[in-house]
Amino acid sequence: MAKQRVMIIGGGLAGLSAAMKLAELDINVDLMSLTPVKRSHSVCAQGGINSVNEVTRQSGDDEWKHFDDSVYGGDFLQHQPPVKEMAYWAPKIIELLDRLGVPFNRTVEGYLDRRRFGGTLYKRTAFAGATTGQQILYALDEQVRRWTAAGKITKYEFWDFLGPIIDANGVCRGCVGQNLFDMEIRAFPADAVIVASGGPGLIYGRSTMSMACNGSAASRCFQAGAKYGNGEFIQVHPTAIPGADKLRLMSESARGEGGRVWVPRTPQDPRDPRSIPQNERYYFLEERYPKYGNLVPRDIATREIFDICVNEGLSVERDRLCVYLDLTHIARHELDRKLGGILEIYEKFQGIDPREHPMKIFPAVHYSMGGLWANYHRSADGGLEPGSPANQATNINGLYAIGECDYQYHGANRLGANSLLSCIFAGLFVGPCIENHMKSLAGGSAADQPASLYTNAVKHHQDRHDELLRRPGGKENPYLIHQELGDVMTRYATVVRYNNQLHDAYQKVSELHERAKHCSLSDTGQWTNQNVVFTKALLDMFPLAKTIVKGALQRDECRGAHYKPDFEMPGITATDEAGRQKQAEEWCDRFEHNNRTWLKSTIAWWNEEEPVLSYEDVDTSLIPPRPRLYGIVGGEMIEKVWKERQSKKKEAASGHADDNGGHARKTAASVAAN
Amino acid sequence: MADHAPHSATPESFEVRILRQDGPGQPSYWERHRVNYEPDMNVISVLQKIAARPVTADGKKVTPVAWDCNCLEEVCGACTMVVNGRVRQSCSAIVDRLLEEQPDGIELQPMTKFPVIRDLMVDRSRLFRALTKIQGWVGVDGYYDLGPGPKQSQAAQELRYPLSECMSCGCCLDACPQYGKIELEQREGESEADFERRKSAAYDRSFIGAHAISQVVYFNADPIGKMTAANRLDALTAEGGIQVCGNAQNCVAVCPKSIPLTTSIARAGRAATIHRIKRFFDR
Amino acid sequence: MTDATSSFWGRHEFLIRRLHSLTGLIPVGAYMVVHLVTNASVLDGPGKFQAAVYQIHTLGAVLPLVEWVFIFLPIIFHGVIGLFITAEMLPNNASYGYTSNFRYTMQRVTGLIAFAFIAYHVFHMHGWFHAEWWHENVSGRLGGANFRPYNAASSAALALQSPIALLIYVVGVLACVYHLANGLWSMGVTWGLWTTPNAMRRALTGCAAFGILLAVVSMGSLYGMYTVKIDEARETEARMMEARLRDGLITQEEVNIKSAPADNHTNAAADDAAESTKF
Repeated sequence: MAKQRVMIIGGGLAGLSAAMKLAELDINVDLMSLTPVKRSHSVCAQGGINSVNEVTRQSGDDEWKHFDDSVYGGDFLQHQPPVKEMAYWAPKIIELLDRLGVPFNRTVEGYLDRRRFGGTLYKRTAFAGATTGQQILYALDEQVRRWTAAGKITKYEFWDFLGPIIDANGVCRGCVGQNLFDMEIRAFPADAVIVASGGPGLIYGRSTMSMACNGSAASRCFQAGAKYGNGEFIQVHPTAIPGADKLRLMSESARGEGGRVWVPRTPQDPRDPRSIPQNERYYFLEERYPKYGNLVPRDIATREIFDICVNEGLSVERDRLCVYLDLTHIARHELDRKLGGILEIYEKFQGIDPREHPMKIFPAVHYSMGGLWANYHRSADGGLEPGSPANQATNINGLYAIGECDYQYHGANRLGANSLLSCIFAGLFVGPCIENHMKSLAGGSAADQPASLYTNAVKHHQDRHDELLRRPGGKENPYLIHQELGDVMTRYATVVRYNNQLHDAYQKVSELHERAKHCSLSDTGQWTNQNVVFTKALLDMFPLAKTIVKGALQRDECRGAHYKPDFEMPGITATDEAGRQKQAEEWCDRFEHNNRTWLKSTIAWWNEEEPVLSYEDVDTSLIPPRPRLYGIVGGEMIEKVWKERQSKKKEAASGHADDNGGHARKTAASVAAN
Repeated sequence: MADHAPHSATPESFEVRILRQDGPGQPSYWERHRVNYEPDMNVISVLQKIAARPVTADGKKVTPVAWDCNCLEEVCGACTMVVNGRVRQSCSAIVDRLLEEQPDGIELQPMTKFPVIRDLMVDRSRLFRALTKIQGWVGVDGYYDLGPGPKQSQAAQELRYPLSECMSCGCCLDACPQYGKIELEQREGESEADFERRKSAAYDRSFIGAHAISQVVYFNADPIGKMTAANRLDALTAEGGIQVCGNAQNCVAVCPKSIPLTTSIARAGRAATIHRIKRFFDR
Repeated sequence: MTDATSSFWGRHEFLIRRLHSLTGLIPVGAYMVVHLVTNASVLDGPGKFQAAVYQIHTLGAVLPLVEWVFIFLPIIFHGVIGLFITAEMLPNNASYGYTSNFRYTMQRVTGLIAFAFIAYHVFHMHGWFHAEWWHENVSGRLGGANFRPYNAASSAALALQSPIALLIYVVGVLACVYHLANGLWSMGVTWGLWTTPNAMRRALTGCAAFGILLAVVSMGSLYGMYTVKIDEARETEARMMEARLRDGLITQEEVNIKSAPADNHTNAAADDAAESTKF
């Protein structure tokens, strides 16, 4: 058998960590990326990376609590074994990164410094200044450079992944790629293909994501038969700077340090904001949430800003949605001391001094919890079975998914500073799994497959490419269609979701999809043709866009980042004790009922035109779902009732076997079948 | 949008002059475009507008301009180009500021020290090659769990952190009067691999540039990286090494991340001299 | 990693450039300072200068060896390597108008000027070689070899009377001074003496002060040389020569070679100069 190879699509944290781990296992790796891997979107991660550490441990923290925070933050929509395994690996991963030279911030004594991040009580987050993602990406990039110099890894930078190559038995035998300079389309035989291509932010037009985050690689796998999970779960960051080209993150510390959010009471008041008198300003967060004011939690801030602009029409600008985030009442030196770096970003990109002029901000799509469906092999202790070829495997044999483009780790919402962790964990963990997959591979290695398998695959993509170039001019413009798609998606499938709007949005996306099929190119050349590459990526955005919208339309509940006001469960309104008790009971009934209906992964298949959705049970056997009660009126009463129910259940169930292991057994069986 | 610009009156549209080139070895030519002014524009959004409607100021239909970009937040290093005569990141090149600098329009050129692939897109593989030459990595035993790394002082971290912010954008190289362009062509009958080898050899013989010198300081300051410091200093003092620097110090002035490149050069220069003297006497 | 086809230059580039940097200070720069300060002693009277020259000439037969090892060879090495270094520069001062970039370009420009000037200066004063046939057939005829050690001030003064020569000296010496002062600063960066921007700024102030001081000294010495009263100087020099002959410190043979012919100051160059000063 010829020497086996692995192809990795994407060179962010997940792809790079998988590459270096496989190289260490003496496996030859090819790494394909749209950009030089050092420029991958992981550089943008600012916050940090979570793990339990000696200090938190001695304050009562442990891996289980990190695991618990992660599934609670994700509203219990994740299968729990992978998340548990990740939490238990986290400390080891940080130690590895430390050895790799990541310049993490230090304590006086020289240990890693930690900060507290949202969604937890413990200081778990290791960080390197305000550029943790960049620093970690570089450390991994360096290791991959080392293996490249040693001949173990071959990088194909400025290559576009066009799709997996699947043989007659449904086994992935490699992929087709296109060089972005000479436009050569070529087959890359591989005994496993790992997709680590990141999020699909470009579907929303402008987001906080990078230009390479067009979702095309995931979409091409989806269209080739891979399942897509939880597509409708898209995390939105409340405060971003709306630029003409992209939305840049504005740290929440601006609100934390006293920033006030407002809009003029007169829609699109043309006056200089500083000259608008106080009584003509609408401090809507302070008025609507007198208790929290501008410090309402992320998701509420996001929804209210969105509501003010979209539903109330009070956006500061006519053509663009935004509100004021005002720091001008705070002394200059104070601002420089506390927010210097952040304000410099605003000044750099907007050319306006936020110490003198109110900033304009708006929520922005930030992260996709959904992604390619991936399997796992549950171990006896409720974690993952190390080295099992089922881990991170998509439903296509030999095709794997890791990183943001894999749906497994974040459920309905992602815990801050868990994304870097999930990427590196999956990348390192998948290495031995791939090794075993290749050992067990039937039908010879990729190099032994008939040449026709590869030439046919290349021909298919070459034909598509040539057809696009041959089209007569003057038809649809792909850039304008992309803008329209972004507008529809941002308006209706982001923060606040209504079924009638989603229904319309689906129609509009379908129409745009039809129009996009008739795009003509302004460049029909064969050298560095970015026009055709973009048009192909645009066409591949629609299957995912439809999956997101359809998933959102069908999911009639509120969970994590998915918020539908029509299905919100109201808090306790009664004032007397008995009434409160009764409403709390009802609330818990409804909560349990809702979980029976909706505590399921959305699984999409692509049938050439439409996504077909089905729902899969979630393995919640380790930590039973419980209500998330941030900010709900009467939350303490609901919590009391809920706890009583749980203790009763426990009594009843004591001695019985855990009946939630079905998924695990099923998984184990599918592994055996391999 | 009256409240927008605290600056002077803004134009309705402005001219953009782009130095285009259809491919390697082809002649370059200037092309004029007119772009409608909007608030908050940067060079990226200008190029996006031109891509969406690729028509010159004279009304001639052309192909969209090719350029490189990714994060648009000045952390990925992709979108470097020469804007109004100065190399910089186009994502943080704000139109209002550029028009203040040069009211008759904006001038875009590809980087001058790297072979043009097309239009504003250049081949910066030499820059990454330099990182291989200096062995820019920490040579750990492997990726198994071997416990934490050595403790490090805050001062050590504060020294290393700014150096680690280098995003390989190439500004320091483009502005360097000691850094020349190397553009090789594949010879007839030469295999891809042979061509790559020939290119790497040519790159290795020529100046590595400020970014790579700074990375030597970075890795040699790491407690594990230190263990193989001599290898990096050997590479740093090989042909095309630190000795080629002429102290014009443009690198530090144009670095978009304000990395103390000249401090790195001075520190590396000191270490390199000591290393070579030691090597001579210990031989 | 690198092809084995590297040239001699390639294999020894670090050593060559470091030596180039070092020779700029020691001995070339150091020698230049001594030279300029010695010349400035003429401001104290030609006798003072003549005494300094005698001091140097006490080395006797060893003098040429010292000159070649510590002056000429290092200067030639520094100059020739400098030409190679200058050849590879890609000045971009129009785009990047930072002062450090200006100083970089100026370092190379002044280097070229210094190279040409020193070649001229050594020819102008010493004719490059002291061989008799060369003097009679080449250097003497081309207006070189004007310096006479035992008539140090007067012969140098005569040689400087031409306004063109004077102008060349002013420009050349100032270029050398800039090259040394800025080279000193640059060397401090290269060798890692000053590393932080603050330290570099302080060092730059120091080097600038040194450069200005040296410029004053050098212009002073040029002024001093130029304004030497030749007849008076001749008398002083003659007295000193006789005294040394008497004491046996120098021989008649040396006097014949190292002093000016008796009527030398009425030669054509001096006439021209005398005339031109009338304007």
